[in-house]
Amino acid sequence: MFLEFLKFDLRFQWRSPLLWIGIGVFALFAFAATTSDAVQIGGSIGNVHRNAPFVIIQFLNVFTILGLFISGAFVGGALLRDFEMNTSELFFSKPIGAKSYLLGRFSAGVLVSMLIYFGVALALMLGAAMPWIDAARLGPFSLGPFVYGLAVFVLPNLIFSAALIMLFAALTRSILGVYLAILAFFVLWAVAGTFTRDLDNLWVAALADPFGARALNLTARYWTAEERNTLLPGMSGYVLANRALWLTVASVLMVATLRLFRTQRLGTGKPWFKRKAKPAEIANLKAPMARIVRTPAPSGAMGSLRQYWKQTRFDTWHVLKSVPFQIMVAFGLMNLIGTLEGSAPMYDTPLYPVTAQMLQSIQGSYAFLLIFVVMFYAGELVWRERSARLDGVIDAFPVPNWVPLAAKASALLVVVVLFFLVGALWCMGYQLLQGFTRLEPMLYLVGLAIPAVTFVLIGWLSIVFQVITHHKFVGYLLTIGIVLSQIVLGVLDFDHNLVNFASAPQTPYSDMNGFGHFLGGWAWFQSYWTLFTLAALLVAAAFWVRGTPEPFRHRISVARTRLRGGAGYALLGTVAATLGLAGFILYNTTVLNPYRAGDKQLDLQADYEKAWRKIEDELQPKIIAADAQVDIFPAERRVRIEGKYRVKNKHATPLDKMTVFLDPEFAVQELRPMGAKQTLEDRPNGMHVFTFDTPLAAGAEFEFPFTIEVSHQGFTNSGAPNSINLNGTFFNNGGFFPQFGYNQRVEIVDRNERRDRGLSPPRRMPKLDEAPRTETYISDDGDWIDFASTVCTSPDQIAMAPGYLKREWTENNRRCFRYEMDAPILPFWAYLSADWEVKKDRWNDVAIEIYYDAKHPYNVDRMIEATKKSLDYFTKNFGPYQHRQFRILEFPNYETFAQSFPNTIPYSEAIGFIANVDAEDAVDYVFYVTAHELAHQWWAHQVIGADAQGATIMSETMSQYSALMVMEQEYGPERMRKFLKYELDGYLRGRSGEILEELPLKQVESEQGYVHYRKGSLVMYRLKDEIGADAINLAMRNYIAKVKFQEPPYTVSTEFLAELRAVAPADKQQLITDLFERISFFDNRLVDAKARKLPDDRYEVTVTWQAAKKESDGIGKETDVAIDDQIDIGIFARPDGVGEDKEKVLYLAKHRIDKNAGELKFTVDELPYDAGIDPYNKLIDRVSSDNRKRVSVEG
Amino acid sequence: MLNIQNLSKTYANGVQALKSVNLNIPKGMFGLLGPNGAGKSSLMRTLATLQEADSGSAQLDEIDVLKDKDAVRRVLGYLPQDFGVYPKVSAEDLLDHFAALKGFVQSGERKQVVEALLNQVNLWAVRKQKLGGFSGGMRQRFGIAQALIGSPRLVIVDEPTAGLDPEERNRFLNLLGEIGEQVVVILSTHIVEDVTDLCPQMAIINQGEVLLSGEPLEAIRSVEGRVWRKTVAKDQLDVLRAQMKVLSTRLVGGRPVVHVMADSNPGEGFEPISAGLEDVYFGELSRHRAKAA
Repeated sequence: MFLEFLKFDLRFQWRSPLLWIGIGVFALFAFAATTSDAVQIGGSIGNVHRNAPFVIIQFLNVFTILGLFISGAFVGGALLRDFEMNTSELFFSKPIGAKSYLLGRFSAGVLVSMLIYFGVALALMLGAAMPWIDAARLGPFSLGPFVYGLAVFVLPNLIFSAALIMLFAALTRSILGVYLAILAFFVLWAVAGTFTRDLDNLWVAALADPFGARALNLTARYWTAEERNTLLPGMSGYVLANRALWLTVASVLMVATLRLFRTQRLGTGKPWFKRKAKPAEIANLKAPMARIVRTPAPSGAMGSLRQYWKQTRFDTWHVLKSVPFQIMVAFGLMNLIGTLEGSAPMYDTPLYPVTAQMLQSIQGSYAFLLIFVVMFYAGELVWRERSARLDGVIDAFPVPNWVPLAAKASALLVVVVLFFLVGALWCMGYQLLQGFTRLEPMLYLVGLAIPAVTFVLIGWLSIVFQVITHHKFVGYLLTIGIVLSQIVLGVLDFDHNLVNFASAPQTPYSDMNGFGHFLGGWAWFQSYWTLFTLAALLVAAAFWVRGTPEPFRHRISVARTRLRGGAGYALLGTVAATLGLAGFILYNTTVLNPYRAGDKQLDLQADYEKAWRKIEDELQPKIIAADAQVDIFPAERRVRIEGKYRVKNKHATPLDKMTVFLDPEFAVQELRPMGAKQTLEDRPNGMHVFTFDTPLAAGAEFEFPFTIEVSHQGFTNSGAPNSINLNGTFFNNGGFFPQFGYNQRVEIVDRNERRDRGLSPPRRMPKLDEAPRTETYISDDGDWIDFASTVCTSPDQIAMAPGYLKREWTENNRRCFRYEMDAPILPFWAYLSADWEVKKDRWNDVAIEIYYDAKHPYNVDRMIEATKKSLDYFTKNFGPYQHRQFRILEFPNYETFAQSFPNTIPYSEAIGFIANVDAEDAVDYVFYVTAHELAHQWWAHQVIGADAQGATIMSETMSQYSALMVMEQEYGPERMRKFLKYELDGYLRGRSGEILEELPLKQVESEQGYVHYRKGSLVMYRLKDEIGADAINLAMRNYIAKVKFQEPPYTVSTEFLAELRAVAPADKQQLITDLFERISFFDNRLVDAKARKLPDDRYEVTVTWQAAKKESDGIGKETDVAIDDQIDIGIFARPDGVGEDKEKVLYLAKHRIDKNAGELKFTVDELPYDAGIDPYNKLIDRVSSDNRKRVSVEG
Repeated sequence: MLNIQNLSKTYANGVQALKSVNLNIPKGMFGLLGPNGAGKSSLMRTLATLQEADSGSAQLDEIDVLKDKDAVRRVLGYLPQDFGVYPKVSAEDLLDHFAALKGFVQSGERKQVVEALLNQVNLWAVRKQKLGGFSGGMRQRFGIAQALIGSPRLVIVDEPTAGLDPEERNRFLNLLGEIGEQVVVILSTHIVEDVTDLCPQMAIINQGEVLLSGEPLEAIRSVEGRVWRKTVAKDQLDVLRAQMKVLSTRLVGGRPVVHVMADSNPGEGFEPISAGLEDVYFGELSRHRAKAA
């Protein structure tokens, strides 16, 4: 019986076009993904092969998520077929078992869905064999990953989703139920995702994902390129547990389905809720008698409007009252609360519930449901009358053709608005519950109107598709096509918003700058798309089917007739207005502003490199002083610079020419070096060559005045934020001022993009032992310079540049400031202008000033506190502070960093100003960032490394160490452990995303943040643990005394290491080698811990451990090395259910570990809870979670 | 009142649904008789402005039915065959919605209309109930209520009594009969008694052609004295069919009873009976089939 059902259904599905469409679409997509860069799934970047096992497995897995809809059709559709076709009673009156019926169709559905994935696998294999694929990006072919992916991920995923869908189908007996199941599934999946942010919840996150994607990612999260290219994830740990769990869940679901499945008609079984059916007809009540009224005379447009309004209300209520909608809102709100609660973008530390944060959560976790809502209800509403078989009645009423269509479009609009309104109220409630009373209803209004427009337009277009195709499924398919095209066109670099439906420039929000100037460009684009959609709706109105559906040929002629007269003129008018707007937009986005598709921009960069790299070794003079009159016009988004460099030939030979680089987009660029004439201008590349009238002798100086104007007119296609804003301008000299010689920063970094354009492999930093050490790693335009600047802005803003304020005045309704530096600085300065609040304080003779937005007072005092404590520690341990002032300046969240300029720290509003660092378990990263940036005043602005590998140790690693020390003083070592865990995780993840080659800390290159920040913290903290902070600080003090404010040759990391080695005892020299000169890892594990109670009530604990030490090369190939290290062994006590941070140390000491396994015995005073080897994760351990183990107590 | 001339319609799949139909329909009930697929629904949908005709014309008094659709819709009441409802909406709400669509845009006036109609079709007591819980007869009465919104001049009801129990059927036909006194009511059916009981005028149509139109009584009169009946054995049936014009066969008490049309007594055992409309109907159909063959 089962076989009969299976065979019948396989035959049935085999003939269904859906299967072949599905196989075709998925295979095509897979093929496109392996053969082009347009579609990227699976993380094949840098050194990871396009056909690496990990990429293939991830690819197959991601496709099971997309394929859920397909399974929904094959399994859900198969089960519901008999109920929908009214054939169920034919089946269930036969002597068949529900079991074989269900399982037969279930198995057929799963088998058929598997076919789609075989298609995907074949397409992947085929794709990798295509001749145009770069052979350097392919590894050897192997069947293993395909078999593994299909067996371990695809099949169990299909079984689970099929089981879930089957249960819902059996319970609800409606395709709606299936649809809801799919939705529930997605929400479940998204919710599970929020767990991964919390590091302690790794197991929960790995298990909570029914697709196993997170289990897979967690397993491979620290994998290097080499491992991704060769390894299979295996069947253990996260993967095994996840697969086992969800297969079990699937069987439970199946058993439940078998139990709950009823073959009777709906409504004949026992009711779920005890509700007594009312008798259908009760005795005649007296009814009001009324006369029969004749149809009123046509009441013209007004009457039609009233009909439209009535129909709109009727259809809106239909959506609002329908269960799927309510469930989606409920899902959305639950998901939203999860996100709000879990929203902690940095260090698991929550943010204050400011409205901007609420808007972001609504966008990310709630609004996406609307895509389902508008698509689904566009179909529902258009087909509402027909599916209720009421079209015959309704179509015969005297209603104009436009009324139903307009009403349905309006109903969707109202639904979208209400959906957002509910979300906004929910968030305001949340804010109030959190005690946050600064509600901003207007901000909600604008912030939610922006996404609402997109969803309404997609809904309307969906209506158009439904009407014109007059086929629900095709209508849905076309809408899905449009939604996919929005994504695909973007990655295909075909990204002008004029061709990508309902897309518009981004509208980033900043509390400082509001929606700034971004709203304008957005509004033009969305007006264009709204008119476009209205035109499409007018066409749809002409195609509106009334009465019996006719063939399409006939509908065209009907549409033509309907478009005669008013409707036709309206259509013409709308199309004309759409085209007019398109013209205006093109003018703004391609004439007033440059528009370049992604690849085009890279081509320009390549052109620059090809034309000018040849001069990179030509000697250029150096800036020795800079002064500039900088006029910032925030409202016009314009900056004018009248600047003057003093330039000197610092080389031993005369110079006969110099080359100046300036961004070619600047509106005004006048360069007037004294005593030189321009002999070549390559404007597209921004290069200007000047020849000196008489060669510039060694040591000779000259003045270099220049005028530059940067202005932004109209709006751009991308809406990408730039540095000049209505409130919150921030730019530095690197972008706006003339630079000398060839500009390396223009070069393309990506290895593959370079190869495609015939460029050499990516530039690397000069090697440690080969670097000329003639310039610093941050600039080759000068060494230490004198700096002063005047900066003017609008009267409501403060303008800022490094230096001390000498004078402030107002002229021509402009507020002007004169800043002068009293000591030489690196050629690295910035300008800012904004409407700030200011808080001032002092530390000894240093003035502390925090410039912050009025909405962000929360952490200002903490920044001041951190500044004072840091100044204490740094001046005591490293040397004096070179300035008498320290300023922090808030800038908009378009960038998320803080950056240290001389005595001036621009600090993004996104990284600390709204962090709630008082929350439980919070990491006070405001303190940390402030300390780190202040430390740069020593480590970058006093000591600066040469342009050579390892240079960032002297800026970033040292600042990390400095901040760690201040933090440890403030918060104690327990809190440091939590911070360092993030650093370890950041390092391990960073190295698995390395696209070139990981280097030991000593040779770290400036792009390798995961090494100089993350590994730097771990290395320095470990070293501190081994040789003590005093020794390290001594080395740093000695070092700084030798090299601060030095002229070329600049210092390199080996000089710092020499200082370290000088203070470290002999037995720690190997440790320094391991930490700085190798990429070394531990793999330590506590195998077993047993305790035995002694007669004196103490406990004897036996600890069995394993330890291993490995060294890795640049792409992650590891070799075992002999271990001989001092490693902590610890035994801890704590009551059950209490966190690790409250534990009591029973035993903790360093042991010399010089073999790979061993056993140790201790006697402790109390009942032990757990024991560990390196229990605090001070070592770099690839798997840090197995270092501790619960102690089992005997007897 | 309603004058249909040369109305023709061929569907995209080649089926000719209406072949030059000519009908003149006066005020009162008009029965449209025909087997399944005869073209009754096509004709009615065309009159109800839901479908275009290929050629021909239809004139309702001064209104050109095929062209001036909006004017027709104002005076039309249409109850389609096998129509549905929104199961989760109450009778009152849906009728109110329909009344608005019909043109009653003032809510006070609309309320009056809805109340009167619910009362007229005897659904007042259940007006708050969801339509999903209605029985077939109640639903059919709701259907007629919506068709009567705004006192239409032309009422078209397509197979309204199919599936109703005898009591509901009577109640429904009485309702129709009351309306039929003032306006044109076209009632399509394949149940001959409906027409006999109600309609002063009728037409029989098959395969898109009008076979006969006129008064039922006159039609019956035309076959009076030519219909014979006999109870026969089952194995004789085929022989009889070959020999004479058998109108119908039905089982009475388990034994076949045949009606035969003949100018004189067709043979032994036949007895003359008084003809009914059914005999006319079957007679016309078999004549038409013979012609087609």
